[in-house]
Parts: sequence; structure tokens; C-alpha cells
Amino acid sequence: MTLEAAEALKGAIALVGYGLAAIGPGIGIGIVAGSAIEAMARQPEAAGIARTTMFLGIAFTEALALIGFVLFFIA
Amino acid sequence: MELILASAECDPAHDIICAPTDVNELFEFREAIFTIGGFPITRTVVLILMIAVIVSAALYFGLRKKSLVPGKFQTAIEGLVGFVRNDIAIEIIGEHGAKYAPWLLSVFLFVLVGNLYEVTPAVNFPVTSRMALPVMLAAITWVVFVVAGIKRQGLSYFLGIVWPTSVPIALRPLVGLIEFFSILFLRPITLAIRLFANMVAGHLMLTLLLVSGWVFISSVGDIGARAGIGIAWFTMGLGIYLFEIVVIMLQAYIFTLLSAVYVQTSLYPEH
Repeated sequence: MTLEAAEALKGAIALVGYGLAAIGPGIGIGIVAGSAIEAMARQPEAAGIARTTMFLGIAFTEALALIGFVLFFIA
Repeated sequence: MELILASAECDPAHDIICAPTDVNELFEFREAIFTIGGFPITRTVVLILMIAVIVSAALYFGLRKKSLVPGKFQTAIEGLVGFVRNDIAIEIIGEHGAKYAPWLLSVFLFVLVGNLYEVTPAVNFPVTSRMALPVMLAAITWVVFVVAGIKRQGLSYFLGIVWPTSVPIALRPLVGLIEFFSILFLRPITLAIRLFANMVAGHLMLTLLLVSGWVFISSVGDIGARAGIGIAWFTMGLGIYLFEIVVIMLQAYIFTLLSAVYVQTSLYPEH
């Protein structure tokens, strides 16, 4: 592949990179939310704590996808 | 509809969807409306000042007459204030939480109103989708949680980060390095980018679906029955519109929640 072709494909490659970066956090958020729903179903009286912790877990897991999003822009 | 077209130069009659020419538009402010003493006043600046007016007015008129049987408006404002104070500040930070409640309330209301501009008709522009604002808010959070840690633990706050005594001694350099970058750099960066990215994504989705749907529908004379595609796009845009209202509230909540969590971890590092 020549240098010009690589330059022309830069945006597409960055997009693929962002897609790859979103796989892990996607699985992680699924696990977090699924476990939180399970916890809420087992102990409805602890739903408030489970919900807050779920949002925190989602926020920390999401950070990796967000870094990928930024790298897509600056690539 | 011209208000929310992505770029002003492009001609919707010829290019159905016009990509922004430069992604830097997201990070820079647009051209100034007018200038005061060399300081350009852009649309973003006007909207930011309006946030201050809206929030102050809502709090002032909502809590002016503290009647024993509150009206609808007072109930709503009291609910918001109580939510931030009890469910975020005190529940997350603990007994010292009430001290941080005014700051958290300011951040929450600022982000909430700034985000709500996205679905406000005739504004349709979340000011938090300009990188300068989330960065500034995250920098304030960084200063608050570092100062809280130093006030509580002195300089051993930094020692506790780079040399965590709760892990085996062989792992301490590695964990300390990771913690150092994660707490002092990645935390504020991800805090800012989370808000920014969510607002940009929502704004782009709404703009693309609503505007291009509208352009398709209004070009029925040119492309005939194919303009029906526009109806589907516009309907989907309205669905995303409702979804975005949920995202807006959630992002304001998460920003405030994470700020509180960061302060909590500086105050009580072992928990």
C-alpha cells in the first residue's frame, strides 16, 4: 500500500479502530447492567444502592470507549 | 430549520447531507455576535450566561416564599435540591457530604440546563458539546478533590496514591503508577470527554435525522415518492429526541455523581 493510499484511508482505519475499542466496553457494560438487574430482582429493597453502583460501574467501563472515540477524532 | 443545519455554507438543494468541513468546529467557538473590549461574545457565551440567569431565577423564585405547604414549582425545586444534597452528596461522600452540596448542586444545575438546550426548540445546541465547558468543569472537580485530599491527609495523600499500602509490597510500584495516572490524569479527562462525547453524539444524531428528514420531505417535487424516506427518518428523529431527554438527565446525574465519588475517594482512601 502506498503512502497516499494509506493517507486516503486514514479516516476509515480510525473508524475501524473506534469500533474495536467499543467491543470491550460494550461487553463490560452488558455484564454490569445485567448483574445490577439481577441484584435488584433478588433484593428490591436494595435497588437504590444497586442503581447508583451500576451507574458508577457503567461510567468507569465506558471510559475505554470514550478514549477510543477521542482517538478516532484526533487520528 | 436553518438554525440547526450542520454548516451554514452547504446548499441543501444539492447536497442532502453536508459533512462539517473541519472537526475543529467542535472545539472552537463560532464567529462572534458582538465584541466587548476585545472579548468576543459568541452564541455559546450568550447561552452560558443565560444558564446562570435561568438557574438563579429558578432557585430564587422556587425558594423565595418557603411556605409550609409548597406549591408545584417549589416542590420541584426542593426536590432537585434535596436530590443532590441527600442522594448524591450525603449518600456518596458521607457525613462531610453536606459541605460539598452547594458545589455539587451548581455543577448539576449548570450541566442539566446546558444539556437541556439540546432539546429546547429554537436553540437546539447543547453548550456542553463545546469541549471548553466540560474541560473547565472537570478541572474544577480535579481541584476540589485534590484540595480535599490534601486538607484531609496532608501530603500523604499523594504518597497514598503512588505507594498504596493496602497491596502486597512487590506490586506497589506497578499499582502506584497505574493509580497515579488513573487518579490525576484519566479521571478528569474521562469526566470531561464523557459529557462532551454524549452531547456531540446526540446533537449529531438529532441534526442528521431531523434535518435530512425534513429536507427529504420538502423536496417531494424533485424526487417524487422517494420523499417518503424522509417521513421515516423524521419519525426516527423524534424517537431519538425522547431518548436524548433521558440521556441529558442521566449525563448531568453521572457527572455530579462521579464528582462526588472522586471527592469521597480522596477523603476516605481505604474504602
